[in-house]
Parts: sequence; C-alpha cells; structure tokens
Amino acid sequence: MELSLCESGWFAAGSAFPLSCIHTSTSLQKLGKWEKKNRIVYPPQLPGEPRRPAEIYHCRREIKYSKDKMWYLAKLIKGMSIDQALAQLEFNDKKGAKIIKEVLLEAQEMAVRNHNVEFKSNLHIAESLAGKGHYTKRIRLHGKGMFGIMKIVKCHYFVKLVEGPPPLPEPRKTGFDQAKEYVQQLRSRTLVHTL
Amino acid sequence: MGISAAPRQHAVAMESLLRPPRAVPAFLVVPVRTKRRLFVPEWARELPHEEKEKRLQSLIRTLPEERMERTFYLACTASIIDPYVPPEGDARVTSLSKEGLKQRMEKLKQTAASQLALRKVKDHDPNFSTKTFPEVAQEIYVEAHNSLANFNKQKLHSLVTERCYPDMVRGNRYKTIRWSFVESLEPPRVVHVRCTSVVNQGNLYGQVTVRMHTRQTLAIYDRFGRLMYGGEKLPKDVLEYVVFERYLVNPYGTWRMHGKIVPEWAPPKDPIVKTVMIPGPTLDPSQEYEEMK
Repeated sequence: MELSLCESGWFAAGSAFPLSCIHTSTSLQKLGKWEKKNRIVYPPQLPGEPRRPAEIYHCRREIKYSKDKMWYLAKLIKGMSIDQALAQLEFNDKKGAKIIKEVLLEAQEMAVRNHNVEFKSNLHIAESLAGKGHYTKRIRLHGKGMFGIMKIVKCHYFVKLVEGPPPLPEPRKTGFDQAKEYVQQLRSRTLVHTL
Repeated sequence: MGISAAPRQHAVAMESLLRPPRAVPAFLVVPVRTKRRLFVPEWARELPHEEKEKRLQSLIRTLPEERMERTFYLACTASIIDPYVPPEGDARVTSLSKEGLKQRMEKLKQTAASQLALRKVKDHDPNFSTKTFPEVAQEIYVEAHNSLANFNKQKLHSLVTERCYPDMVRGNRYKTIRWSFVESLEPPRVVHVRCTSVVNQGNLYGQVTVRMHTRQTLAIYDRFGRLMYGGEKLPKDVLEYVVFERYLVNPYGTWRMHGKIVPEWAPPKDPIVKTVMIPGPTLDPSQEYEEMK
C-alpha cells in the first residue's frame, strides 16, 4: 500500500531522464566451453619445433533431433577427412546428416578465413560428439482420458577439425600376433618363492 | 521489489501493533490523471480561426521545449584533411646528385597553406616548433607500435586517435605481433601542416604530416604460433608519411597518431606465407574449365 502511494507520487512529479539507448551488456548469451576453445592463443613457435597443426572447434546448439540418433552420424564421421565426411553425409538419408553437413562447411570456412588454414581439404575430423540439449515437456493425449508426458528432444553437435591428413587406423590384431603374445607370456614365466 | 513474502508479513503485523486501527481507511487512493495537453479556456473556444492561430503561436513560445538531447564529444576528425602528395621518387634518388639535394632542401616554407596552419597551431600551442616536433613524433610512433605488440589498450588509446585505432587493431585479437624499431635512416622532418574546424567555426583540429625513413622488423604469428608474415630478424626499410593530429582547442590535448599516407609509387609489400585460393568461374555440370579458356 505504501509502495503504491510512493510510486504514484513519483510519477506525478514527472521524470526528466532522457532516453539514451546504450547497450551496457557485452554479450547477449553465455558462451559455452566449446566455443571458448577457439580463443586460446599459443606462444610463437621456435624455428626448430615441428609445425603445430591448427585446431578448429565448432558446434551447433539446440538442434531439433534426438541425441541418440545424432550419435550414429557423429560416430560415422569420426576420423574421416573432411571431404570424405561431406561426401558420406550428402548421400545419407537421415535428417541430422544435412545439419551436420552445414556445420562442417561452416567450420571449414571459419578455418580458412580466421584460423590461418592454408588448404581447406587438408582437414580431418578429430572429435565429433552429440550432446543433450534442453528438453521441454508436453502432454500427449491418449484414449480414455489418459495422458502421457512427452519430451520434445533437442541435441547439440560438436566437432573438432585438425589440420593434416587423417590418422591411419590401427591395424587389427591378427591371430598370429595373438598366438605370438601367448607364447611370449608362457616363456616369460619364472618360478617364485623358491630357492 | 526485492522484498520476500515472509518478512513482509512480519512488517505488516508489526505496523498493525504499533498503529491501532481507526476509522481512517487503510489506504488512500490518489487519482492520477494524464498530462494536460492542449487546454483552451471557455472564452477562447469560439474565436475566429485567425485569432485561435495567434493564441496557439503565443502559447508555443511559452511552452518549455523538451528536446531529447545526447551530447557527444569529437576527439578526432574522420579523415586526413588535404592529404600530402609525396613527390615521386622520394628516397629513390641518392642525396649526392642535384635532384637529391633539391629534395633535401625542400623546406616547409614553400606552401602558404602550411604556413597559415602552422601559425594557427602556434597560437594554441606556443611550444610547438617544426624542429623539435619530429623527434617527439617518432617517439610516439615507436611507443604506439610497442603497445600494439604488447596489446596495451589503454596506452594505445592515449597515443593513437580513434580513427586510427581500428585500422591498427583489426584482425589482431588472436595473433601475436613482434615488432621492433632498429634505427632511423634519415632524421624525420615535418612536411605538411593543416588545420580544420569541424561542425562549428573555431573547433580546431591540427594535422601534421611527418616523413619518416626507418628500419623496422615485423613478425606476425597466428593463433597457433606459426609465422604468418615477415621475420624477426629481417629488417626492412620503410618510408612513411605519418599524420599526427591534435585537438587544439582542448588545453589538455596531445599529439596522437592519426593515419598514414601510402604513395602509389611505393614498392609492393611482401606476399604472405600461405597460399590463397581465388574461386574460379561457376560452371555447369556439362562444361569443363579448359573449354572455357
């Protein structure tokens, strides 16, 4: 009650503050950890050191897709070169494939323009992850007056591009190698707790 | 309201104890009306049209003019006024030949406009002299580039005008710059003086162009520490015409770097280390590039 009195009195007197539209906040949204990884600056390399490969982090937030379904695509791409990844995604029928392709193209552009990458094909995908976004709950009506709580599902997609050819996959262990290891184990046995 | 619910209830309970209830109502309703706009008294409502207009005019003059004002302060001009045109072949000809001598003997006293401007500058700043200023200018130049290499923003703002700051700093946020001043090949000298007033008469800004022939080293490293341009042990000879500006009317103004004049006949800069792709013409799927050539 006292508050309403004060307010009315104040406004009746007339306020003389001019409208100055100055944006006082620096950023509108809080930056995630993945976006901040693009900001680290390494000190200059000495002439003898091997050239450090460029790493570019990119992500897309709140994609309207399931994180479990996105995982399959992320796992498909991991370890491929960027051209191969783009080719695979173009002919993949899933909805997430189109989105991931856009993200990869954006990341490639960013790499060439901002991060001093010389050849845009000389990139490979070091890490590719799908994470859970914000879920909203809604009511889904069933028959006989029953209802279920539906989750509207969103995911994030993260990708890390590294300059250079993709690393060679580890060669699979053959039966012969396994047998050799077994024999080695048998031969390296010694007698313990004896004279 | 930053008051939470529980303490508020306590406060109300306390007040009811302190002030016993009376016949007076618990709260007063103060009617708030809208602001009174055009008010015409009864005797003026049926006047002829001309008299009404006369009344309106006289009233408008008496009303307070509410203007939404926001002051701004111009600390520097937006461009280089009357840019100096450096003579062709400057620093190409040796100083021993006749032409070289002529160039060296070129004094500031030749142009009348520069003389006028110089006089105006000396009115506002009596300590200014064309003989001592070039050294001060070179010091400002060196300090500014050093603070750019160290990313010392406050110092850079005090040494460089607001027009020059974005040109210097653009694109450098995630890069490491190493710059060093080796030596000055020729003593710097004042070459051009101009004075302008912006917005109002008498709002004077003075611009002085100084010719500097120096040797510098520059190395720019990208985000990952790889060399992008130049080299740390590669000194380069640099001939520049640097413009310094000062807000003359402000008694606390200082001379700050405003911009550079790069002549057209200057030698081209070194190419950057990486290869850049220039996109070719867009082709139909049926066409091939060799056919288009």
